[in-house]
Amino acid sequence: MIPVEYFLALAAILFAIGAYGVMTKVNTILVLMSIELMLNAANINFVVFSGFLGDAMGQVFVLMVISVAAAEVAVGIAILLNAYKIKKTTEVTALTSMRW
Amino acid sequence: MDASVITNIFGDFSAMAPMIVMILGVLLMPALYFTTKNRVVVTAAMLAFTAVSAIVNLILLLGGYNGDYLGLFEYDAFSGLMILLFQIVALLIGLVTASSTEVTRLHYGAFMSLLMAATVGMMFVATATDLVVIFVGVELASISSYILVSMKRNDPRAAEAAVKYVIIGGMSTALTVYGISMLYGVVGVTNLAAIADAMQTQGFTWAFAIAMITMIAGYGFKIASVPFHMWAPDVYEGASTPVSAFLAVGSKKMGLIVFFKIFLVMFVAGTTVSTFATAEMQYLFAIIAAITMTVGNIVAIAQTNIKRMLAYSSIAQAGYILIVMAVMSEYALVGGIFHMFTHVFMKGGAFLIVGALICVGIGERISDYRGLAKRAPFLAFAMLLFLFSLAGIPPLAGFTSKFVLFSAAIYGDGGATSQWVWLAFLAILNSAISLYYYARVVKAMYIEKGESAERIAVPLPFLIAIAICVVAVIVLGVYPQAILGPAADAAAALFSLV
Repeated sequence: MIPVEYFLALAAILFAIGAYGVMTKVNTILVLMSIELMLNAANINFVVFSGFLGDAMGQVFVLMVISVAAAEVAVGIAILLNAYKIKKTTEVTALTSMRW
Repeated sequence: MDASVITNIFGDFSAMAPMIVMILGVLLMPALYFTTKNRVVVTAAMLAFTAVSAIVNLILLLGGYNGDYLGLFEYDAFSGLMILLFQIVALLIGLVTASSTEVTRLHYGAFMSLLMAATVGMMFVATATDLVVIFVGVELASISSYILVSMKRNDPRAAEAAVKYVIIGGMSTALTVYGISMLYGVVGVTNLAAIADAMQTQGFTWAFAIAMITMIAGYGFKIASVPFHMWAPDVYEGASTPVSAFLAVGSKKMGLIVFFKIFLVMFVAGTTVSTFATAEMQYLFAIIAAITMTVGNIVAIAQTNIKRMLAYSSIAQAGYILIVMAVMSEYALVGGIFHMFTHVFMKGGAFLIVGALICVGIGERISDYRGLAKRAPFLAFAMLLFLFSLAGIPPLAGFTSKFVLFSAAIYGDGGATSQWVWLAFLAILNSAISLYYYARVVKAMYIEKGESAERIAVPLPFLIAIAICVVAVIVLGVYPQAILGPAADAAAALFSLV
Protein backbone atom coordinates (compact mmCIF):
# COMPACT_ATOMS: atom_id res chain seq x y z
CA MET A 1 0.00 0.00 0.00
CA ILE A 2 1.29 3.43 -0.90
CA PRO A 3 1.93 5.57 2.23
CA VAL A 4 -0.34 8.61 2.74
CA GLU A 5 2.59 11.03 2.61
CA TYR A 6 3.09 10.36 -1.12
CA PHE A 7 -0.43 11.55 -1.91
CA LEU A 8 -0.09 14.58 0.34
CA ALA A 9 3.17 15.51 -1.39
CA LEU A 10 1.47 15.21 -4.78
CA ALA A 11 -1.36 17.47 -3.60
CA ALA A 12 1.07 19.96 -2.06
CA ILE A 13 3.09 20.14 -5.31
CA LEU A 14 -0.09 20.64 -7.34
CA PHE A 15 -1.22 23.37 -4.92
CA ALA A 16 2.17 25.11 -5.14
CA ILE A 17 2.12 25.00 -8.96
CA GLY A 18 -1.38 26.51 -8.90
CA ALA A 19 -0.37 29.25 -6.45
CA TYR A 20 2.70 30.05 -8.58
CA GLY A 21 0.48 30.29 -11.65
CA VAL A 22 -1.99 32.65 -9.94
CA MET A 23 0.81 34.98 -8.93
CA THR A 24 2.87 35.01 -12.15
CA LYS A 25 0.48 34.54 -15.08
CA VAL A 26 -0.55 37.66 -16.96
CA ASN A 27 -3.51 36.20 -18.86
CA THR A 28 -6.60 36.02 -16.63
CA ILE A 29 -7.81 32.78 -18.28
CA LEU A 30 -4.58 31.10 -17.18
CA VAL A 31 -5.06 32.54 -13.67
CA LEU A 32 -8.51 30.92 -13.49
CA MET A 33 -6.98 27.62 -14.65
CA SER A 34 -4.34 27.87 -11.93
CA ILE A 35 -7.09 28.37 -9.33
CA GLU A 36 -8.67 25.13 -10.62
CA LEU A 37 -5.34 23.37 -10.01
CA MET A 38 -5.32 24.58 -6.40
CA LEU A 39 -8.90 23.39 -5.86
CA ASN A 40 -8.06 19.97 -7.31
CA ALA A 41 -5.08 19.69 -4.96
CA ALA A 42 -7.56 20.05 -2.10
CA ASN A 43 -9.78 17.42 -3.74
CA ILE A 44 -6.90 14.91 -3.81
CA ASN A 45 -6.34 15.58 -0.11
CA PHE A 46 -10.01 14.97 0.66
CA VAL A 47 -10.18 11.69 -1.25
CA VAL A 48 -6.95 10.41 0.28
CA PHE A 49 -7.97 11.26 3.83
CA SER A 50 -11.45 9.87 3.22
CA GLY A 51 -9.92 6.56 2.09
CA PHE A 52 -7.43 6.33 4.93
CA LEU A 53 -9.92 7.34 7.64
CA GLY A 54 -12.70 5.14 6.24
CA ASP A 55 -15.07 8.14 6.47
CA ALA A 56 -17.43 9.18 3.65
CA MET A 57 -17.61 12.90 4.57
CA GLY A 58 -14.45 13.70 2.61
CA GLN A 59 -15.97 12.40 -0.61
CA VAL A 60 -19.13 14.43 0.00
CA PHE A 61 -16.89 17.46 0.35
CA VAL A 62 -15.19 16.66 -2.98
CA LEU A 63 -18.55 16.68 -4.76
CA MET A 64 -19.34 20.07 -3.18
CA VAL A 65 -15.95 21.47 -4.21
CA ILE A 66 -16.37 20.23 -7.81
CA SER A 67 -19.80 21.84 -8.17
CA VAL A 68 -18.69 25.09 -6.56
CA ALA A 69 -15.60 25.20 -8.80
CA ALA A 70 -17.79 24.72 -11.87
CA ALA A 71 -20.06 27.59 -10.80
CA GLU A 72 -17.08 29.78 -10.06
CA VAL A 73 -15.48 29.18 -13.47
CA ALA A 74 -18.76 29.78 -15.29
CA VAL A 75 -19.21 33.12 -13.51
CA GLY A 76 -15.51 33.94 -13.86
CA ILE A 77 -15.47 33.40 -17.63
CA ALA A 78 -18.63 35.50 -18.03
CA ILE A 79 -17.04 38.33 -16.06
CA LEU A 80 -13.84 38.05 -18.13
CA LEU A 81 -15.88 38.26 -21.36
CA ASN A 82 -17.60 41.35 -20.00
CA ALA A 83 -14.22 42.93 -19.24
CA TYR A 84 -12.88 41.87 -22.66
CA LYS A 85 -15.71 43.71 -24.41
CA ILE A 86 -14.67 46.93 -22.68
CA LYS A 87 -10.87 46.64 -22.51
CA LYS A 88 -10.24 44.45 -25.61
CA THR A 89 -7.72 42.40 -23.62
CA THR A 90 -7.76 39.73 -20.91
CA GLU A 91 -4.38 40.59 -19.39
CA VAL A 92 -4.21 41.52 -15.72
CA THR A 93 -1.69 44.26 -16.51
CA ALA A 94 -4.51 46.18 -18.23
CA LEU A 95 -6.58 46.35 -15.02
CA THR A 96 -4.93 49.41 -13.58
CA SER A 97 -7.57 52.15 -13.55
CA MET A 98 -7.97 51.83 -9.76
CA ARG A 99 -4.95 51.83 -7.47
CA TRP A 100 -4.45 52.43 -3.75
CA MET B 1 -44.84 34.81 20.67
CA ASP B 2 -44.51 31.06 20.88
CA ALA B 3 -42.17 29.37 18.42
CA SER B 4 -44.68 26.53 17.89
CA VAL B 5 -46.47 28.71 15.32
CA ILE B 6 -43.51 28.19 13.02
CA THR B 7 -42.56 24.66 14.05
CA ASN B 8 -46.11 23.45 13.28
CA ILE B 9 -45.73 24.69 9.70
CA PHE B 10 -42.13 23.71 8.96
CA GLY B 11 -41.80 20.57 11.11
CA ASP B 12 -38.30 19.12 10.95
CA PHE B 13 -37.15 21.98 8.73
CA SER B 14 -37.83 24.65 11.38
CA ALA B 15 -34.11 25.30 11.84
CA MET B 16 -34.00 26.35 8.16
CA ALA B 17 -37.37 28.14 8.08
CA PRO B 18 -36.05 31.70 7.40
CA MET B 19 -33.81 30.37 4.61
CA ILE B 20 -36.61 28.35 2.99
CA VAL B 21 -38.76 31.48 2.67
CA MET B 22 -35.85 33.38 1.12
CA ILE B 23 -35.03 30.54 -1.32
CA LEU B 24 -38.63 30.62 -2.59
CA GLY B 25 -38.07 34.31 -3.29
CA VAL B 26 -34.76 33.59 -5.06
CA LEU B 27 -36.53 31.22 -7.43
CA LEU B 28 -39.51 33.50 -8.03
CA MET B 29 -37.77 36.84 -8.75
CA PRO B 30 -36.52 36.23 -12.35
CA ALA B 31 -39.88 34.71 -13.38
CA LEU B 32 -41.76 37.63 -11.86
CA TYR B 33 -39.67 40.19 -13.73
CA PHE B 34 -39.95 38.17 -16.95
CA THR B 35 -43.76 38.19 -16.80
CA THR B 36 -44.45 41.69 -15.43
CA LYS B 37 -41.40 43.74 -16.61
CA ASN B 38 -42.21 45.99 -13.68
CA ARG B 39 -39.41 46.91 -11.28
CA VAL B 40 -41.77 48.14 -8.56
CA VAL B 41 -43.57 44.79 -8.44
CA VAL B 42 -40.30 42.86 -8.22
CA THR B 43 -38.97 45.17 -5.48
CA ALA B 44 -42.20 44.82 -3.50
CA ALA B 45 -42.07 41.02 -3.84
CA MET B 46 -38.43 40.95 -2.73
CA LEU B 47 -39.16 43.12 0.30
CA ALA B 48 -42.23 41.00 1.11
CA PHE B 49 -40.27 37.72 1.01
CA THR B 50 -37.45 39.18 3.11
CA ALA B 51 -39.91 40.67 5.60
CA VAL B 52 -41.80 37.36 5.95
CA SER B 53 -38.47 35.61 6.47
CA ALA B 54 -37.56 38.23 9.10
CA ILE B 55 -40.89 37.74 10.89
CA VAL B 56 -40.42 33.94 10.89
CA ASN B 57 -36.93 34.46 12.26
CA LEU B 58 -38.11 36.90 14.94
CA ILE B 59 -40.82 34.49 16.14
CA LEU B 60 -38.25 31.70 16.41
CA LEU B 61 -35.71 33.98 18.10
CA LEU B 62 -38.11 35.53 20.63
CA GLY B 63 -39.72 32.13 21.26
CA GLY B 64 -36.32 30.79 22.26
CA TYR B 65 -36.42 28.07 19.61
CA ASN B 66 -33.47 25.69 19.57
CA GLY B 67 -33.22 22.91 17.05
CA ASP B 68 -31.04 21.31 14.42
CA TYR B 69 -31.40 19.68 11.04
CA LEU B 70 -29.30 16.56 10.28
CA GLY B 71 -26.47 17.95 12.38
CA LEU B 72 -25.67 20.36 9.54
CA PHE B 73 -27.78 23.36 10.55
CA GLU B 74 -28.54 24.49 14.05
CA TYR B 75 -30.82 27.34 15.01
CA ASP B 76 -29.93 28.94 18.34
CA ALA B 77 -29.73 32.43 19.84
CA PHE B 78 -26.47 33.17 17.96
CA SER B 79 -27.64 32.12 14.50
CA GLY B 80 -31.03 33.77 15.01
CA LEU B 81 -29.45 37.12 15.84
CA MET B 82 -27.01 36.90 12.92
CA ILE B 83 -29.78 35.93 10.49
CA LEU B 84 -31.66 39.02 11.68
CA LEU B 85 -28.59 41.15 10.86
CA PHE B 86 -28.43 39.80 7.29
CA GLN B 87 -32.17 40.31 6.82
CA ILE B 88 -31.85 43.94 7.91
CA VAL B 89 -29.05 44.39 5.36
CA ALA B 90 -31.12 42.76 2.60
CA LEU B 91 -34.15 44.94 3.41
CA LEU B 92 -32.11 48.17 3.37
CA ILE B 93 -30.36 47.35 0.09
CA GLY B 94 -33.43 45.87 -1.60
CA LEU B 95 -35.38 49.02 -0.77
CA VAL B 96 -33.01 51.42 -2.53
CA THR B 97 -31.83 49.37 -5.54
CA ALA B 98 -34.75 50.13 -7.88
CA SER B 99 -34.27 53.89 -7.56
CA SER B 100 -30.49 53.85 -7.95
CA THR B 101 -29.32 55.06 -11.34
CA GLU B 102 -26.11 53.02 -11.10
CA VAL B 103 -27.65 49.54 -11.13
CA THR B 104 -28.27 47.97 -14.53
CA ARG B 105 -31.89 48.11 -15.72
CA LEU B 106 -31.59 45.13 -18.08
CA HIS B 107 -31.65 42.22 -15.65
CA TYR B 108 -33.43 43.60 -12.63
CA GLY B 109 -35.08 40.26 -11.73
CA ALA B 110 -31.70 38.52 -11.79
CA PHE B 111 -30.19 41.29 -9.67
CA MET B 112 -32.84 40.90 -6.96
CA SER B 113 -32.59 37.12 -7.14
CA LEU B 114 -28.81 37.25 -6.68
CA LEU B 115 -29.13 39.75 -3.83
CA MET B 116 -31.43 37.32 -2.03
CA ALA B 117 -29.20 34.34 -2.91
CA ALA B 118 -26.19 36.07 -1.39
CA THR B 119 -28.25 36.75 1.74
CA VAL B 120 -29.28 33.07 1.88
CA GLY B 121 -25.61 32.09 1.68
CA MET B 122 -24.81 34.35 4.63
CA MET B 123 -27.75 32.90 6.58
CA PHE B 124 -26.44 29.38 5.86
CA VAL B 125 -23.11 30.38 7.39
CA ALA B 126 -24.90 31.82 10.44
CA THR B 127 -26.75 28.54 11.12
CA ALA B 128 -24.03 26.10 10.03
CA THR B 129 -22.59 23.55 12.43
CA ASP B 130 -20.53 21.76 9.79
CA LEU B 131 -17.59 22.84 7.65
CA VAL B 132 -19.40 21.64 4.49
CA VAL B 133 -22.29 24.03 5.09
CA ILE B 134 -19.93 26.90 5.95
CA PHE B 135 -18.00 26.28 2.72
CA VAL B 136 -21.12 26.10 0.53
CA GLY B 137 -22.71 29.12 2.25
CA VAL B 138 -19.61 31.29 1.82
CA GLU B 139 -19.37 30.30 -1.85
CA LEU B 140 -23.06 30.95 -2.49
CA ALA B 141 -22.65 34.44 -1.07
CA SER B 142 -19.33 35.07 -2.86
CA ILE B 143 -20.31 33.84 -6.35
CA SER B 144 -23.56 35.82 -6.18
CA SER B 145 -21.67 38.94 -5.20
CA TYR B 146 -19.17 38.56 -8.08
CA ILE B 147 -22.12 38.94 -10.45
CA LEU B 148 -23.69 41.76 -8.41
CA VAL B 149 -20.44 43.74 -8.68
CA SER B 150 -20.37 43.47 -12.48
CA MET B 151 -24.04 44.51 -12.89
CA LYS B 152 -23.46 48.24 -13.21
CA ARG B 153 -24.33 50.64 -16.00
CA ASN B 154 -21.88 52.55 -18.19
CA ASP B 155 -18.80 52.17 -16.05
CA PRO B 156 -15.66 50.27 -17.12
CA ARG B 157 -14.48 50.33 -13.52
CA ALA B 158 -17.18 47.78 -12.59
CA ALA B 159 -15.84 45.26 -15.12
CA GLU B 160 -12.34 45.71 -13.76
CA ALA B 161 -13.51 45.42 -10.15
CA ALA B 162 -15.44 42.23 -10.95
CA VAL B 163 -12.38 40.60 -12.56
CA LYS B 164 -10.25 41.48 -9.54
CA TYR B 165 -12.93 40.21 -7.17
CA VAL B 166 -13.42 36.90 -8.98
CA ILE B 167 -9.69 36.16 -9.12
CA ILE B 168 -8.99 37.07 -5.49
CA GLY B 169 -12.17 35.31 -4.38
CA GLY B 170 -11.25 32.15 -6.27
CA MET B 171 -7.76 32.20 -4.81
CA SER B 172 -9.16 32.57 -1.28
CA THR B 173 -11.61 29.70 -1.93
CA ALA B 174 -8.75 27.46 -3.01
CA LEU B 175 -6.72 28.36 0.09
CA THR B 176 -9.69 27.69 2.36
CA VAL B 177 -10.56 24.34 0.81
CA TYR B 178 -6.95 23.19 1.06
CA GLY B 179 -6.93 24.20 4.74
CA ILE B 180 -10.23 22.43 5.40
CA SER B 181 -8.90 19.28 3.72
CA MET B 182 -5.80 19.27 5.96
CA LEU B 183 -7.96 19.90 9.04
CA TYR B 184 -10.22 17.03 8.01
CA GLY B 185 -7.19 14.79 7.68
CA VAL B 186 -5.93 15.75 11.14
CA VAL B 187 -9.16 15.46 13.16
CA GLY B 188 -11.18 13.14 10.88
CA VAL B 189 -14.50 15.02 11.28
CA THR B 190 -16.11 18.12 9.77
CA ASN B 191 -18.65 18.90 12.49
CA LEU B 192 -17.68 22.01 14.46
CA ALA B 193 -18.59 20.62 17.89
CA ALA B 194 -16.75 17.36 17.09
CA ILE B 195 -13.70 19.36 15.98
CA ALA B 196 -13.83 21.27 19.27
CA ASP B 197 -13.96 17.93 21.12
CA ALA B 198 -11.01 16.61 19.13
CA MET B 199 -9.02 19.70 20.17
CA GLN B 200 -8.92 18.34 23.74
CA THR B 201 -6.54 15.57 22.63
CA GLN B 202 -4.96 17.26 19.63
CA GLY B 203 -1.30 18.30 19.60
CA PHE B 204 -0.05 21.14 17.40
CA THR B 205 1.34 19.19 14.44
CA TRP B 206 2.77 20.53 11.17
CA ALA B 207 -0.33 19.40 9.25
CA PHE B 208 -2.54 21.28 11.70
CA ALA B 209 -0.33 24.37 11.35
CA ILE B 210 -0.71 24.27 7.53
CA ALA B 211 -4.47 23.91 7.93
CA MET B 212 -4.64 26.92 10.25
CA ILE B 213 -2.42 29.16 8.10
CA THR B 214 -4.29 28.49 4.85
CA MET B 215 -7.72 28.77 6.46
CA ILE B 216 -6.90 32.03 8.24
CA ALA B 217 -5.45 33.42 5.00
CA GLY B 218 -8.45 32.26 2.97
CA TYR B 219 -11.09 33.64 5.29
CA GLY B 220 -8.87 36.67 5.92
CA PHE B 221 -9.49 37.56 2.26
CA LYS B 222 -13.24 37.44 2.90
CA ILE B 223 -13.10 39.95 5.77
CA ALA B 224 -10.35 41.97 4.01
CA SER B 225 -7.94 41.83 6.92
CA VAL B 226 -4.45 43.19 6.22
CA PRO B 227 -2.39 41.83 4.37
CA PHE B 228 -5.28 40.31 2.39
CA HIS B 229 -7.17 43.58 1.90
CA MET B 230 -6.01 44.95 -1.45
CA TRP B 231 -9.11 43.86 -3.38
CA ALA B 232 -11.61 45.60 -1.09
CA PRO B 233 -11.13 49.30 -2.01
CA ASP B 234 -11.07 48.50 -5.75
CA VAL B 235 -14.24 46.40 -5.57
CA TYR B 236 -16.11 48.87 -3.37
CA GLU B 237 -15.16 51.75 -5.68
CA GLY B 238 -15.98 49.89 -8.88
CA ALA B 239 -19.29 48.36 -7.81
CA SER B 240 -22.55 50.30 -7.78
CA THR B 241 -23.00 51.91 -4.37
CA PRO B 242 -25.89 49.72 -3.09
CA VAL B 243 -23.72 46.68 -3.88
CA SER B 244 -20.71 48.28 -2.14
CA ALA B 245 -22.89 48.79 0.91
CA PHE B 246 -24.06 45.19 0.72
CA LEU B 247 -20.49 43.89 0.56
CA ALA B 248 -19.19 46.19 3.29
CA VAL B 249 -21.92 45.44 5.83
CA GLY B 250 -23.09 41.97 4.78
CA SER B 251 -20.25 39.99 3.23
CA LYS B 252 -17.75 41.16 5.81
CA LYS B 253 -19.99 40.09 8.71
CA MET B 254 -20.25 36.65 7.13
CA GLY B 255 -16.46 36.30 7.18
CA LEU B 256 -16.35 37.39 10.82
CA ILE B 257 -19.01 34.81 11.74
CA VAL B 258 -16.82 32.15 10.11
CA PHE B 259 -13.93 33.32 12.30
CA PHE B 260 -16.13 33.07 15.39
CA LYS B 261 -17.65 29.71 14.48
CA ILE B 262 -14.46 27.91 13.44
CA PHE B 263 -11.47 29.51 15.13
CA LEU B 264 -12.97 30.96 18.32
CA VAL B 265 -14.77 27.71 19.20
CA MET B 266 -11.75 25.60 18.28
CA PHE B 267 -9.16 27.55 20.21
CA VAL B 268 -11.28 28.19 23.28
CA ALA B 269 -11.84 24.43 23.40
CA GLY B 270 -8.09 23.91 23.07
CA THR B 271 -7.14 26.15 26.03
CA THR B 272 -7.29 23.20 28.44
CA VAL B 273 -4.47 21.41 26.58
CA SER B 274 -0.96 22.65 27.31
CA THR B 275 0.52 21.33 24.03
CA PHE B 276 -2.07 23.23 22.04
CA ALA B 277 -0.90 26.66 20.97
CA THR B 278 -3.93 28.76 21.91
CA ALA B 279 -1.82 31.55 23.44
CA GLU B 280 0.30 31.79 20.28
CA MET B 281 -2.82 31.88 18.10
CA GLN B 282 -4.23 34.66 20.29
CA TYR B 283 -1.08 36.66 19.63
CA LEU B 284 -1.36 35.95 15.90
CA PHE B 285 -4.93 37.28 15.85
CA ALA B 286 -3.92 40.26 18.01
CA ILE B 287 -1.20 41.16 15.50
CA ILE B 288 -3.61 40.76 12.55
CA ALA B 289 -6.16 42.95 14.35
CA ALA B 290 -3.56 45.62 15.19
CA ILE B 291 -2.14 45.76 11.64
CA THR B 292 -5.61 45.69 10.07
CA MET B 293 -6.96 48.66 12.03
CA THR B 294 -3.77 50.69 11.71
CA VAL B 295 -3.25 50.20 7.98
CA GLY B 296 -6.96 50.71 7.27
CA ASN B 297 -7.04 54.02 9.12
CA ILE B 298 -3.72 55.40 7.90
CA VAL B 299 -4.33 54.64 4.22
CA ALA B 300 -7.85 56.08 4.51
CA ILE B 301 -6.32 59.49 5.31
CA ALA B 302 -4.79 59.66 1.81
CA GLN B 303 -8.02 58.92 -0.07
CA THR B 304 -9.83 61.53 -2.14
CA ASN B 305 -12.65 59.22 -3.35
CA ILE B 306 -15.27 58.87 -0.63
CA LYS B 307 -16.14 55.26 -1.53
CA ARG B 308 -12.47 54.25 -1.22
CA MET B 309 -12.25 56.13 2.07
CA LEU B 310 -15.29 54.25 3.41
CA ALA B 311 -13.77 50.98 2.12
CA TYR B 312 -10.56 51.54 4.08
CA SER B 313 -12.61 52.56 7.09
CA SER B 314 -14.47 49.23 6.72
CA ILE B 315 -11.14 47.43 6.83
CA ALA B 316 -10.30 49.27 10.05
CA GLN B 317 -13.70 48.39 11.57
CA ALA B 318 -13.06 44.70 10.81
CA GLY B 319 -9.78 45.14 12.66
CA TYR B 320 -11.65 46.39 15.73
CA ILE B 321 -13.97 43.37 15.65
CA LEU B 322 -10.96 41.03 15.32
CA ILE B 323 -10.07 42.09 18.90
CA VAL B 324 -12.64 39.41 19.85
CA MET B 325 -10.37 36.77 18.32
CA ALA B 326 -7.41 37.96 20.41
CA VAL B 327 -9.24 38.24 23.74
CA MET B 328 -11.38 35.10 23.22
CA SER B 329 -13.76 35.82 26.11
CA GLU B 330 -17.54 35.72 26.10
CA TYR B 331 -17.78 39.40 27.03
CA ALA B 332 -15.58 40.33 24.06
CA LEU B 333 -17.88 38.34 21.77
CA VAL B 334 -20.85 40.34 23.09
CA GLY B 335 -18.97 43.52 22.16
CA GLY B 336 -18.10 42.07 18.74
CA ILE B 337 -21.73 41.20 17.97
CA PHE B 338 -22.86 44.64 19.16
CA HIS B 339 -20.29 46.35 16.96
CA MET B 340 -21.35 44.24 13.98
CA PHE B 341 -24.90 45.53 14.40
CA THR B 342 -23.95 49.18 14.81
CA HIS B 343 -21.56 48.87 11.85
CA VAL B 344 -24.48 47.78 9.65
CA PHE B 345 -26.32 51.02 10.36
CA MET B 346 -23.49 53.55 10.36
CA LYS B 347 -21.45 52.17 7.43
CA GLY B 348 -24.57 51.11 5.53
CA GLY B 349 -26.09 54.55 6.08
CA ALA B 350 -22.93 56.34 4.91
CA PHE B 351 -22.78 54.25 1.72
CA LEU B 352 -26.50 54.83 1.07
CA ILE B 353 -25.97 58.61 1.30
CA VAL B 354 -23.14 58.35 -1.23
CA GLY B 355 -25.42 56.27 -3.46
CA ALA B 356 -28.30 58.72 -3.13
CA LEU B 357 -26.07 61.65 -4.05
CA ILE B 358 -24.68 59.83 -7.10
CA CYS B 359 -28.28 59.47 -8.31
CA VAL B 360 -28.66 63.26 -8.39
CA GLY B 361 -25.35 63.83 -10.15
CA ILE B 362 -22.96 64.56 -7.29
CA GLY B 363 -19.64 62.79 -7.77
CA GLU B 364 -17.67 60.42 -5.58
CA ARG B 365 -14.85 62.81 -4.67
CA ILE B 366 -14.78 64.39 -1.24
CA SER B 367 -14.41 67.82 -2.90
CA ASP B 368 -17.80 67.24 -4.58
CA TYR B 369 -19.40 67.38 -1.12
CA ARG B 370 -18.55 71.08 -0.60
CA GLY B 371 -21.49 73.10 0.62
CA LEU B 372 -23.73 70.06 0.95
CA ALA B 373 -25.18 71.29 4.25
CA LYS B 374 -26.92 74.15 2.39
CA ARG B 375 -28.11 71.98 -0.48
CA ALA B 376 -29.37 68.96 1.49
CA PRO B 377 -29.50 69.66 5.23
CA PHE B 378 -30.96 66.27 6.21
CA LEU B 379 -28.44 64.23 4.20
CA ALA B 380 -25.52 66.30 5.46
CA PHE B 381 -26.66 65.91 9.07
CA ALA B 382 -27.21 62.15 8.63
CA MET B 383 -23.72 61.82 7.11
CA LEU B 384 -22.32 63.76 10.07
CA LEU B 385 -24.05 61.36 12.49
CA PHE B 386 -22.80 58.26 10.65
CA LEU B 387 -19.21 59.48 10.38
CA PHE B 388 -19.04 60.59 14.02
CA SER B 389 -20.59 57.28 15.03
CA LEU B 390 -17.89 55.44 13.04
CA ALA B 391 -15.25 57.50 14.83
CA GLY B 392 -16.86 56.71 18.19
CA ILE B 393 -18.27 60.02 19.43
CA PRO B 394 -20.85 59.67 22.27
CA PRO B 395 -23.83 59.34 22.49
CA LEU B 396 -23.98 57.60 19.11
CA ALA B 397 -24.08 53.83 18.62
CA GLY B 398 -20.48 53.55 17.47
CA PHE B 399 -19.27 54.89 20.82
CA THR B 400 -21.31 52.44 22.88
CA SER B 401 -20.31 49.37 20.89
CA LYS B 402 -16.65 50.38 20.81
CA PHE B 403 -16.83 50.99 24.57
CA VAL B 404 -18.05 47.42 25.19
CA LEU B 405 -15.53 45.95 22.74
CA PHE B 406 -12.48 47.84 24.03
CA SER B 407 -13.41 47.40 27.68
CA ALA B 408 -13.52 43.64 27.01
CA ALA B 409 -9.92 43.86 25.81
CA ILE B 410 -8.90 45.80 28.95
CA TYR B 411 -10.87 43.50 31.25
CA GLY B 412 -9.48 40.38 29.59
CA ASP B 413 -10.58 36.88 30.45
CA GLY B 414 -12.18 37.46 33.87
CA GLY B 415 -9.25 39.22 35.55
CA ALA B 416 -8.88 42.93 36.24
CA THR B 417 -5.52 43.06 34.47
CA SER B 418 -5.24 41.84 30.94
CA GLN B 419 -2.41 41.29 28.48
CA TRP B 420 -4.53 42.98 25.82
CA VAL B 421 -4.49 46.49 27.28
CA TRP B 422 -2.04 47.52 24.52
CA LEU B 423 -4.52 46.33 21.90
CA ALA B 424 -7.31 48.44 23.42
CA PHE B 425 -4.92 51.40 23.61
CA LEU B 426 -3.99 50.98 19.94
CA ALA B 427 -7.67 50.73 18.98
CA ILE B 428 -8.49 53.97 20.82
CA LEU B 429 -5.51 55.67 19.16
CA ASN B 430 -6.82 54.45 15.81
CA SER B 431 -10.26 55.89 16.54
CA ALA B 432 -8.58 59.26 17.05
CA ILE B 433 -6.77 58.92 13.70
CA SER B 434 -10.03 58.00 11.99
CA LEU B 435 -11.70 61.15 13.32
CA TYR B 436 -9.24 63.16 11.17
CA TYR B 437 -10.44 61.82 7.82
CA TYR B 438 -14.10 61.74 8.86
CA ALA B 439 -13.85 65.36 9.94
CA ARG B 440 -12.49 66.25 6.47
CA VAL B 441 -15.81 65.20 4.94
CA VAL B 442 -17.75 67.09 7.61
CA LYS B 443 -15.61 70.19 6.97
CA ALA B 444 -16.31 69.96 3.23
CA MET B 445 -20.05 69.65 3.87
CA TYR B 446 -20.49 72.33 6.55
CA ILE B 447 -17.67 74.87 6.30
CA GLU B 448 -16.45 75.01 2.71
CA LYS B 449 -18.49 76.83 0.08
CA GLY B 450 -19.83 74.92 -2.89
CA GLU B 451 -20.18 76.11 -6.49
CA SER B 452 -23.93 75.59 -6.52
CA ALA B 453 -26.50 76.31 -3.82
CA GLU B 454 -29.62 74.77 -5.35
CA ARG B 455 -31.52 72.24 -3.24
CA ILE B 456 -31.18 68.52 -3.89
CA ALA B 457 -34.12 66.08 -3.91
CA VAL B 458 -32.97 62.47 -3.65
CA PRO B 459 -35.26 59.48 -4.37
CA LEU B 460 -37.72 58.64 -1.57
CA PRO B 461 -36.60 54.99 -0.95
CA PHE B 462 -33.09 56.27 -0.21
CA LEU B 463 -34.50 58.78 2.29
CA ILE B 464 -36.50 56.06 4.06
CA ALA B 465 -33.48 53.73 4.32
CA ILE B 466 -31.24 56.55 5.55
CA ALA B 467 -33.84 57.62 8.11
CA ILE B 468 -34.01 54.04 9.44
CA CYS B 469 -30.22 54.04 9.82
CA VAL B 470 -30.26 57.42 11.61
CA VAL B 471 -32.88 56.21 14.09
CA ALA B 472 -30.95 52.97 14.70
CA VAL B 473 -27.65 54.78 15.23
CA ILE B 474 -29.21 57.07 17.85
CA VAL B 475 -31.36 54.42 19.58
CA LEU B 476 -28.56 51.85 19.85
CA GLY B 477 -26.34 54.61 21.25
CA VAL B 478 -28.59 55.76 24.07
CA TYR B 479 -30.40 52.47 24.71
CA PRO B 480 -27.81 49.71 24.13
CA GLN B 481 -29.78 47.21 26.25
CA ALA B 482 -31.96 46.64 23.16
CA ILE B 483 -29.13 44.66 21.59
CA LEU B 484 -26.88 43.81 24.55
CA GLY B 485 -29.35 41.29 26.00
CA PRO B 486 -29.80 39.27 22.79
CA ALA B 487 -26.06 39.60 22.10
CA ALA B 488 -25.25 38.11 25.52
CA ASP B 489 -27.61 35.18 24.80
CA ALA B 490 -25.98 34.74 21.40
CA ALA B 491 -22.46 34.73 22.83
CA ALA B 492 -23.50 32.18 25.48
CA ALA B 493 -25.04 30.00 22.75
CA LEU B 494 -21.82 30.06 20.71
CA PHE B 495 -19.65 29.31 23.73
CA SER B 496 -21.91 26.35 24.61
CA LEU B 497 -20.51 24.66 21.47
CA VAL B 498 -17.13 24.43 23.20
